[in-house]
Amino acid sequence: MSLAAEAFVSQIAAAEPWPENATLYQPLTEDQILLSDCASSLAVQAYLRMCGLPVQVVCRANAEYMSPSGKIPFIHVGNQVVSELGPIVQFTRAKGHSLSDGLDDVQRAEMKAYMELVNNMLLTAELYIQWCDDATAAEVCMLISRPRYSSPYSWPLSNVLAYQKQWEVRRKMNAIGWGGKTLEQVYEDVSQCCQALSQRLGTQPYFFNKQPTELDALVFGHLFTILTTRLTSTELAERVKSCSNLLSFCKRIEQTYFEDKSS
Amino acid sequence: MALAFRAYAQFAGAPLKLRKISNPWRSPSGSLPALRTNQKETLSRPSDIIIHLRKQKYNADYDLSAKEGADSLAFISLLEEKLTPALIYAFWIEPKNYVDVTRRWYAEHLPFPLNFFLPGRMQRQQLEKLRLLRGDESLEAGEELEKEMYRDAAECMNLLSQRLGSHKFFFGDSPSSLDAYVFGHLAPILKSKLPNAKLQQHLKSLDNLTNFCTNILLLYFPRDGRESQKTTSQPEGADFDHVPNKRRKQFLSALVALGAMLSYALLTGMVSIQHVQHEALEEPPDLQHIGPHEEEGDG
Repeated sequence: MSLAAEAFVSQIAAAEPWPENATLYQPLTEDQILLSDCASSLAVQAYLRMCGLPVQVVCRANAEYMSPSGKIPFIHVGNQVVSELGPIVQFTRAKGHSLSDGLDDVQRAEMKAYMELVNNMLLTAELYIQWCDDATAAEVCMLISRPRYSSPYSWPLSNVLAYQKQWEVRRKMNAIGWGGKTLEQVYEDVSQCCQALSQRLGTQPYFFNKQPTELDALVFGHLFTILTTRLTSTELAERVKSCSNLLSFCKRIEQTYFEDKSS
Repeated sequence: MALAFRAYAQFAGAPLKLRKISNPWRSPSGSLPALRTNQKETLSRPSDIIIHLRKQKYNADYDLSAKEGADSLAFISLLEEKLTPALIYAFWIEPKNYVDVTRRWYAEHLPFPLNFFLPGRMQRQQLEKLRLLRGDESLEAGEELEKEMYRDAAECMNLLSQRLGSHKFFFGDSPSSLDAYVFGHLAPILKSKLPNAKLQQHLKSLDNLTNFCTNILLLYFPRDGRESQKTTSQPEGADFDHVPNKRRKQFLSALVALGAMLSYALLTGMVSIQHVQHEALEEPPDLQHIGPHEEEGDG
């Protein structure tokens, strides 16, 4: 899309108010969705709730193939489809809904840097644990990831798609230098990331003063999912639990924005 | 990225013996950069090298608070996600830059015959890496991709510029690992003479980042800094005049040319070599002994 076309689209988006029937698509919650996709989806839901924008969550077995970028989750608003948190944040900003308008330049730079830290470390670690063959990770892959990912499809397509996905993720891990890592090194990276987030949060209710930003939504999505997802080992959740302020942070956001969901 | 760990080693005061080689296959790991430790261990990834230096008590982040350490980690992630792909694109994928600068530089610095196939192979590897990083198998060089890459990179530079502000380094008066990483990413953009220099133009518009790179070059790489200042005053073509082992390469080129000319002369019949049979001075060996001897050899 050219710059002129992009500007035109954003103008149209800005002109139309947020509709009541906005929809967020994700894989099937009970049988199919994996840790990383669940985290990304929860981050988008948290962000939209923080903005006060209503959205209906719809689960589809083929959500990944419905998405324009092949990434999950994506939202369908009016006649537009937008996938992933970053573009969704830009899209809502065009409509006049933003959580980071109150930040100065340095704070905005820090917010974006920490968002990249979460994507670079937590998201990558989730993908590694789901798909990469290390002694323990293989267990997760065989018992959880492959069966869940391919659950909507019949044999032999189920096997083909699961292997294809695993191959894709492994190639990406090699490209970013994670191919040679052991599971312990991955857990160490998660600890390092959580400690960095914990230091940044300190005693504040949110990462930047008293109002949540997209960083808060992203961190909540990943940490809450890690804490509440059952894997073959609890090691990943234990690393998060070692930072008490992050636990309080997750509880606070859950109570504030997901009251109706908490059971 | 070799520049990042060299800068880190300088900041931390680590005693490194620098050995410049133009053949990556002669490196202990088969790739460049590589660090051979005292324990005869070989490390290739800059992040692994920095971790090793830290374990050896050469730590440029020693004075950082816990929060500054966290910020450092976050901004390094920002660089990896936003600026690294744009650097790969600018040097390896953008056609004009690759042909006029990157391939030419490697072809002139790599030994024969590696200079014929290694640059192309490296380009394919970098394109594959970019495809995997962006999750797009059909990714090719083009206006759309370039615009997206450079937009991300420009945003990253703006964020770094805002974070640096009017300070000399990112955290106070002494450089840290973040400074090393930022310098390692920005110095090549600033100092390379690329035909398509959009990234360089944007970087030069951010005075504090430009000064940051220049200061580090002058303070920690004084010889390199002076050389780069000399080359900037020279015309564009002079960039490749100072080739290492120039005499040897000229001699080899002359030999190859001579060999080619002789081969051509022989093949076209310009020069012919006649075989003249002389009478045997000695009697031929006893044929009776040859048969059994050959049989033994076969058996």
